[in-house]
Amino acid sequence: MSCLHTINRSPDSNLLESCIKVVNAGDAILFIEDGVYHCASLANLQTIVETVRVYGLREDMLARATLPKTAERVEAIDTNQFVELCCEHDKVVSWF
Amino acid sequence: MIDKPYTARPAKSSITFISRSAPYGHNRANLCLDMALASAVFEQDVNYVFLDDGVYQLLKGQDGAAIQSKTLGNALETLALYGIESVYADQQSLKGRSIDSSDLLPGMQLIDSDAVSKLIENSDTVFNL
Repeated sequence: MSCLHTINRSPDSNLLESCIKVVNAGDAILFIEDGVYHCASLANLQTIVETVRVYGLREDMLARATLPKTAERVEAIDTNQFVELCCEHDKVVSWF
Repeated sequence: MIDKPYTARPAKSSITFISRSAPYGHNRANLCLDMALASAVFEQDVNYVFLDDGVYQLLKGQDGAAIQSKTLGNALETLALYGIESVYADQQSLKGRSIDSSDLLPGMQLIDSDAVSKLIENSDTVFNL
């Protein structure tokens, strides 16, 4: 039973801290909206265990000019892939 | 005896806007800008400060079209057209978010927190959004 976690606020919100406390191996974390500001912050990304895949929504990165600084750990995906991720996982948990 | 003219309210006041929100996620950044532009139209003395997540508004290369929004970065470039020349970005906020001054839109003056507190002290009104 895997879970997709979405985070839609900037690192100032501490949502990632709350999320990683309950994340399980095989889960995925997807940064959307203002959450994509996490994608350039290595200090934040390093707190996520290796067994969790990390994604960022490309459209939100383009709007906010953060795509060029996105870390390697993060895979940029588009809205169609977002839908696929939702289907691949048993549940979606929104952190907002 | 002639009464002194009524001067309780200065004709021109100094207003500082502190914008602390990232663009696009909610509309606070837009609202703050709208208030500042309106104040400038009424010839008030306007200071505009980007603090905390507000500095994300200043990144070059934004493209609101990707999420069907107006590009806020373009709107910020109109500040000078409205006569708002005191536009500041807080250095600590930039540093904390690993944003280099070369990543920023042109026309920003970098200041530290002491300077921000001076601005607040010397303003008649402060909007913090």
